Amino acid sequence: MSARAVVGIGQEVAGDDGVGLAVLDELQRRDVPAGTRIIRLADPVDLVPLLESSAGERVVLVDAVLGSPAGAIVELSPEELSNQAPQPASSHGLGVARAIALARALSPDGAASRVRVVAVAIQAPGRYRAGLSPEVAAAVPRAADRVLRLLLG
Amino acid sequence: MSKRGPERTRTRTIQVDYLARVEGEGSLTIKLRGEEATEVRLSIFEPPRFFEALLRGRAYREAPDITSRICGICPVAYQMSACHALEDALGLRPTGALRELRRLLYAGEWIESHGLHVFLLHAPDFLGYPDAVAMAKDHGDRVKQGLRMKKAGNAIVALLGGREIHPINVRVGGFYRAPAKQELETLLPELRWGLGACAETLEWASGFDFPPLERDYECVALRHEREYPFNEGRVVSSRGLDLDVRDYDAHFVEEQVSHSNALRSRIRGGGAYLCGPLARFNLNADRLSPEIQRLAAGAGLTAPCRNPFKSILVRLVEMAHAFEEAIRIIEGYVPPDRPFLEAAPRAATGFGATEAPRGLLYHRYSIDEQGAILDAKIVPPTSQNQLAIEEDLFQLAGQLVRLPLGEATHRAEQAVRNHDPCISCATHFLKLQVERE
Repeated sequence: MSARAVVGIGQEVAGDDGVGLAVLDELQRRDVPAGTRIIRLADPVDLVPLLESSAGERVVLVDAVLGSPAGAIVELSPEELSNQAPQPASSHGLGVARAIALARALSPDGAASRVRVVAVAIQAPGRYRAGLSPEVAAAVPRAADRVLRLLLG
Repeated sequence: MSKRGPERTRTRTIQVDYLARVEGEGSLTIKLRGEEATEVRLSIFEPPRFFEALLRGRAYREAPDITSRICGICPVAYQMSACHALEDALGLRPTGALRELRRLLYAGEWIESHGLHVFLLHAPDFLGYPDAVAMAKDHGDRVKQGLRMKKAGNAIVALLGGREIHPINVRVGGFYRAPAKQELETLLPELRWGLGACAETLEWASGFDFPPLERDYECVALRHEREYPFNEGRVVSSRGLDLDVRDYDAHFVEEQVSHSNALRSRIRGGGAYLCGPLARFNLNADRLSPEIQRLAAGAGLTAPCRNPFKSILVRLVEMAHAFEEAIRIIEGYVPPDRPFLEAAPRAATGFGATEAPRGLLYHRYSIDEQGAILDAKIVPPTSQNQLAIEEDLFQLAGQLVRLPLGEATHRAEQAVRNHDPCISCATHFLKLQVERE
């Protein structure tokens, strides 16, 4: 059985930005395949060493994306992510797409080339608050289903 | 900025609509006539964020956590300046282990911030790559080394601050919880590796081709009687200023310019000044340990260094210092009796300045007898450096005109990145003027 990992990215205090972490909570309430690593990240740059060290592992990333309608779920490949409009790399970190691109450049045969991204659409968080909006909270079980299918598929 | 130079016929405009590899949203316009720049505008269109206004009425204890949200990579700096200013108002002075833990936390942030800038943002400029992803294909080991160094800094902030981004363990008077020595000792192997990696990287970076530019900056930084400055010291300049932090407002002024959402600082009755790694090094190189001074000298770096392109070397020297200081603090750490000091609120105004990775960060708060914030002023490093950055570009203009447009544009962007500007931090307004048609 191949190794598996689910990575959630987000900040719990930034409202719907925390949806990736909420999906991890949901997965932990369910039966995930034995041995699946569940990893929480606040800074996408930490994806780089993670994806490098997880060569051979099936990795699914769960994150929020700005979009509408809120709660919609899309699945993206690394290519689809990198085909998005170019994002300037902040001097304060790397975005998820840049972090995956960097990991792929560093380890062309590593997990970064096969990572799948389950993205949940959110509206831009207007202020710091704990908890998800009703539309995004409703998407959490569906996103968890999608993650499980990818882990087992 | 005002027009300069004689009228010539040939004009050329270098326009960078969206500056990459700086934080926040900014653009740059340079108008050249002949070999002279007639106009340089570093435009900051990141929207204003009103942090000073939203602090009013909040309890003083909230200021470190609110202001840390100004920045995702230097939250510690905002927490430290807020704590020092409010402790000044309350008459508190954390010493001993509390003071050492603050220096340790700051060391973590410098490693994290400088590591990202040196390896992922600035090195590609010198090696001729558009970004770190392209650089990683040929220099993978170097990028991995940089990420590992950065991670060692993150680990300090995560352990001591409770989490990597926007740490939650800092409070006015100290920390909510002081770590056990054994916890801190788990960091030592990576920190010792990081110190060695800095030395090796510095040798590598010293071989870069540094575009020639000599600037006669007025450098401004904190200066402490013994230490290379993180948290404490007098505000000094290379042209003789030597002030208590309380006198900052009397000597520095922020002004609004139409092309920028950030306030721009200058010395009252004077002009531009530079803060940040280059200024700190130029004013405090003698406060580095003999080992780190030898490292700097080995890389050909001596104070004063006036070439802003060499700031990448200074950041590596400061990383080495931060690794060395973190190791020293952990090895000598004896936990404090209590993790924080406390005092009853009183009506007062407090002043604090610390050295953020990008330079001097000044906070001032007035609080009432219940401890509610009446007034707040925050001056981040990028506001202070904006004028100096524009003047760098004025002086660089002679080189830019001789380069093809693409190369000139790249060189101009590189010159901005020399100062690692944090545009999000710089964007704030004391007053907003709305013009309607």
